[in-house]
This record gives sequence, structure tokens and C-alpha cells, in this order.
Amino acid sequence: MNASNAVHTLQQAATGNAAAENGHELANLTTLLETLFPDSAWVNFLHHWENVLFSILAAAVIVITAVFAARKNKAVPQGIQNFWETIVETVEVFVTGILGPRGFKHIPFLGTLFVYILLENWSGLIPFMKSPTSAWSTTLAYALITVVYIQMVGIQEQGFWHYLKHMAGSPSGVLGLVLVPLMLIINLTIEFIAVPLSLSLRLFANVSSEDRLLLKFAELNVMFHGIPFLFQLFANILAIAFSIVQAFVFMLLSTVYISLMLPHEESGHGSNSHDVLNQPLNHAHQKV
Amino acid sequence: MEFFKANIIPGEVIVQIIAFLIVFWTLKVFAWKPILKSLAARQNKIKQELDQIEAARHDIEVLKNQYASHLQKIDDEARLKIQDAVEEGRKIAHEIQEKARRDSQSTFEKTKENLELEVDKARIELRREIADLAIMVSEKIVQEKMTDSKQQDKILDMIKELEAASEKKREGLS
Repeated sequence: MNASNAVHTLQQAATGNAAAENGHELANLTTLLETLFPDSAWVNFLHHWENVLFSILAAAVIVITAVFAARKNKAVPQGIQNFWETIVETVEVFVTGILGPRGFKHIPFLGTLFVYILLENWSGLIPFMKSPTSAWSTTLAYALITVVYIQMVGIQEQGFWHYLKHMAGSPSGVLGLVLVPLMLIINLTIEFIAVPLSLSLRLFANVSSEDRLLLKFAELNVMFHGIPFLFQLFANILAIAFSIVQAFVFMLLSTVYISLMLPHEESGHGSNSHDVLNQPLNHAHQKV
Repeated sequence: MEFFKANIIPGEVIVQIIAFLIVFWTLKVFAWKPILKSLAARQNKIKQELDQIEAARHDIEVLKNQYASHLQKIDDEARLKIQDAVEEGRKIAHEIQEKARRDSQSTFEKTKENLELEVDKARIELRREIADLAIMVSEKIVQEKMTDSKQQDKILDMIKELEAASEKKREGLS
């Protein structure tokens, strides 16, 4: 491959043309490597697992900085410690604001979700990186983990019997008992299909749309020699803002789902029926 | 269904779940818990220090009040002592005046008595001198012959004059 061919290939890869069959987003390191070394098994492997690769990169950044900040533990925080303490305190205030003092133990899970998804969303803005959350597989994985976590919290907080009763629609009387199979189907569908689908599809659709938008503006910049650069800049700013919003929404909804699983003092232990549950849930969905 | 098949890769989902669980566990153990603990400890420390500052401020306020009341007490005592001292001074001055007056009175009395004594002594002396003079005169007259009655009368007149002169002298001394 001579130099001019290599430059042309890089340009194509940068605008995503070379990787068009793999998605509609800007080229990343793996698509670039695949363009340069199409026959390499390692490059094909990396390209196949690109979402996992970029997730691991994001995870590494988060884990290294967070652990480093936690180990510092100075009385007067500075730099990275200050940054992480701000994040932790913000998440703590947010989660305990919704769940009360009982939400304290859910801070690590919800905080990890927020930080991890946010960095993954932002990854697409870095040249030759990719947002793993623009793939449904990634967002579905997080949604499934969230659903399992929520159900575990439900069983833990209400007890298994009350959890089953809640799933059966808290039946009372003959009619309630007759409707148990129907209520079970409805509740199981909501909890195990609707919730993960709504959580994962929302995040996936938003982030992949942002990435497509960035790709289209990049293509326009190539076509018109950088004239629509301001549009590209505007799209980047939008992507930064929407990435925060989407990560926050994922955490917010997860927090709300957890709060619905906690026993309500005023209505008795585990007596949160789905009619009552869906009210704040619907409000949250409407807000989103 | 095709959309699901195209977008959901089961293997990737499983690997992402495992990756997330590893990140979650690592962050929970090594980041979230230590940072939350550190924040709580700092919050408690700040709260304790603020409470201590508040308690110290309260103590200072109490001490300030005590100090002010002590100062007031000291002022009152000083005022009372000054008043007592002034009263004492007046009393002493009055006593000194009284004593001076008594002393002067007694001195005057003594002086007067001394003077009277001196006058009496002088009178006695004078009488003695007169007697001596009279004896001298009489001796003189006796030596010149006391024959004539006119001479006798003259002597008697002289004695009277002498007595009158001595009387006048005594009055002048008293």
C-alpha cells in the first residue's frame, strides 16, 4: 500500500465509509485497523468485540481514577480526589433524596451505572473511540443487570412471600384470586420485559442517534471542506449534554424502580400494588 | 425479529454483564465505600468541630458575663472603700481638730495659771521689797531722831504712798 492510498483509506475510515457495513457512526480505532489490516485475525477479533474493548477502556479509566482518589483520602481533597468526592456526594444526595436513608446501600450500584454509562456515552466524542452504549447489546446488558438488581432488592426488602404476592397483584377476594394468573403475566411482562426494553432501547437509540448525527456532520465537513464546522461543533456540544442526560435518566429510572420495590410505611409491608407503582413510574417516563 | 437479531449479540451481552459486574464490585469495594466512609468521617469531624466551636463560644460568653460581673463587683467594692476612706478621713480630721482645740485650751489654761502664779510671786516679792524699804526708811528715821510729830506723820504718809503704789502695780500685772 503506497502513501496516497493509505491516506485515502484513512480518510474513508475517518468518515465511516469504510465501516459503513458495521454501523452508522464515526470510525474508531478498530475500524481503522481493520481497514489497514483486513486479513489480521487479531484485528478482526478486536473489531468484533469493539464494544467490549471500549467498555473495558472506559472501565479502566473509571476504576484507576476512582481507586486512586479513594486511596488518597486527604482531609483537604484536591484534584482527582476532589473530583470523585464531588461525584460520590452528588450521587449520594440524589439517591438518598429519592430513597431516603435506606437508599444509602444502593449508592455504589446506581453511581457505577451513572459514571460508567456517562463515560461510555462520551467515548464516542473522542477521536478513534466509540460509544459502547450505541450498541443495543451493551445497553441491554446494563438493563438486565438493573432488572435483576431491582428484583433482588424487592425480595430482600419485602420478603419472598410478599414479593410473590406483589407480583400476583396483591389478590384479595375471589375475583383477585381468579385474576392472579393474569396479574402474574402482566407484572412479569412489565418487570422482566418492558422495563429492560425501555431502559436499554432509550439509551441505545439516543446514543446511536447522537453518533449518527456526528457522522453525518463529519461527512458534510469532508464534502464541503470544513465549511459546516460550526454545525459539527454544535452537534458535539449537543452530544455532550445529551450523554449526561441519558446517563442521568438511566440512573433516575433505576432509582425510581428500586424505590417502588421498597416497602411503603403508610401502606404496610410490601403492599405496593402495580396501580400505585405505575403512577410515579409514569411520571418519571413522562419527564424523560 | 430481524432487528433484534441484528442488534443483540448474546455473547456481547454476557461479556458486558460480566464486565459491568467486575467494575461494579471493584468500585464498590475500592472506591465507593472508602470515599463514602471518608466523606461521612469528614462530615462527622466538621460537625464535631463546629459543635466544639459552639460550646467554646458559649463558654466564652459565660466567662465574659462572669468577668463583667466581677468587674462590676470590683467597681462597687472600690467605690465603697473610697467612701469608707473619705468618711474615715473626715472623722480623723474632726478628731485632729478636736484634739488641737483641746490642746490649745489646756495650754491656755496652764499659761494662765502660770501667769497667776508669777503675779502672786511678784506680789510677794514686792511686799518683801516694800518691807525691806520700810525697814530701811525706818532705820534711817530712827537714826536721825524721831522727835518731832510732824516727822512722824510724814513717815506714815510715805508708807501709805508706798502701799498705794504697790496696789497699782499689782492691778497692772493682773
